[in-house]
Amino acid sequence: MIIGENIHKSFGDLEVLKGVDLHVRPQEVVVLVGVSGSGKSTLLRCFNFLEMINEGKITIDGHTVNPKKDNLTKIRAEVGMVFQHFNLFPHKTVLENVIEAPITVKKMKKEEAKKLGAELLKKVGLEDKADVYPSKLSGGQKQRVAIARSLAMQPKVMLFDEPTSALDPELVGEVLQVMKQLAEEGMTMVVVTHEMKFAKEVADRIIMIDEGRIIESADPKNFFENPQNERTKQFIQLVE
Amino acid sequence: MPEIFTTVYDVFMRTYPGFLEATVVTLQLTAIGVILGTVIGLVFALMKISGSKILRAIANIYITIIRGTPLIVQIMFLYFGIVELYTMSNFWAGAIALGVHNGAYIAEIFRGSIQGIDPGQREASMSLGMDRRQTMSRIVFPQALRRSIPPLGNQFIITLKDSSLVYIIGVAEIFSLGNREAAQSYQPFESFLVVALYYLVLVMIFTFLLRLYENKLDVDRA
Ligand SMILES: Nc1ncnc2c1ncn2[C@@H]1O[C@H](COP(=O)(O)OP(=O)(O)OP(=O)(O)O)[C@@H](O)[C@H]1O
Ligand SMILES: [Mg+2]
Repeated sequence: MIIGENIHKSFGDLEVLKGVDLHVRPQEVVVLVGVSGSGKSTLLRCFNFLEMINEGKITIDGHTVNPKKDNLTKIRAEVGMVFQHFNLFPHKTVLENVIEAPITVKKMKKEEAKKLGAELLKKVGLEDKADVYPSKLSGGQKQRVAIARSLAMQPKVMLFDEPTSALDPELVGEVLQVMKQLAEEGMTMVVVTHEMKFAKEVADRIIMIDEGRIIESADPKNFFENPQNERTKQFIQLVE
Repeated sequence: MPEIFTTVYDVFMRTYPGFLEATVVTLQLTAIGVILGTVIGLVFALMKISGSKILRAIANIYITIIRGTPLIVQIMFLYFGIVELYTMSNFWAGAIALGVHNGAYIAEIFRGSIQGIDPGQREASMSLGMDRRQTMSRIVFPQALRRSIPPLGNQFIITLKDSSLVYIIGVAEIFSLGNREAAQSYQPFESFLVVALYYLVLVMIFTFLLRLYENKLDVDRA
């Protein structure tokens, strides 16, 4: 569904991704872990072309993206992204947040978009908040709106960058619950998270990134019980 | 002490019909100065954040010159400059000078509020498949505009006071009338005190209105 091959990314002199190969299959849930600064966010942002890779190639749903020729705007629409800090549009209501992109990008009729928006809000359990502004919501509710907003573009794959890291502990569960449900429905997902319980339960594969390289890739059971790399072992000890 | 009150009162009562007319002129100058300044400011703010080096350079030059020279010089310069080319009333020459002057400051207000929008907003918008133009017009500008309104109100108040400088080209606004009154009546102290009162009251009224608006914004957002 989304294939990264030999991805290199530098910021000035700092090489953050040093040849990453990652093949995410349709309906697969991949959890990315790694210490701070290892390049997890950068990798997700490259998959969404918020950052341009310096080398390598990215293939989305069978199409190898040529950043010079392709319409990146259109490609971004196919790859949903959920951010740590939600990034909801504060000047728009919850429903308006969700239907903004379908209307402006897909030129969907307002009525149709509203219907879609209402369905998605119901899916994330926030149908009663449609007309409220984001500032009135809790962090967990905000993130669920952000997920609904992303889903409204019917993306082929969803990227989550630490979706629960900015939440109070008691609000983490409601967001993970929605993500779990998405995974069960067959959404292809790449998730950066520190929630190891979620990783164990939901991930098909856990991938450890260290200093811009993939150093471990295994199903949850093997990842935790039989890690190959020394750094992975240290990491697991740290989080367990 | 009481004596000064009576003389000020006398000056006030004698001059207020003229001053009310002059107040209208001052308010017109201010309004045109700010509206024109807003249009100019918007254009130059867009130039400043644009990808084009040339446009950015032009905007920088304009802003540097305006901010680096006294308003009164700009008024004279524009007055004699424009009047050479077009016949134009002193009032319009003054209003345009205020607009050009404000443009530089308002450009910085707009630029500041556009750049002050969390980059995450732009990223979220782009990640949803909106292009640069849609992101700007639907996500960034509406938020930036809201943020600009309090500093714009502030600029309005500054302009209200700055408009007194167009007395130099003979526009019959508050200060110019006070100046004449002071000379003719041999009561400069009382006359300028009255002038000060007019400005003070106007500024207080607009400050109050601005507060009301800001409070309303806070309520909307809370
Ligand atoms: N736009 C940028 N410009 C310069 N350096 C950057 C930029 N974005 C990220 N970096 C650097 O790249 C490195 C990797 O950052 P990245 O955000 O991908 O790490 P991460 O694995 O997501 O870490 P964290 O767990 O803290 O979120 C860091 O050293 C960071 O400072
Ligand atoms: Mg990160």
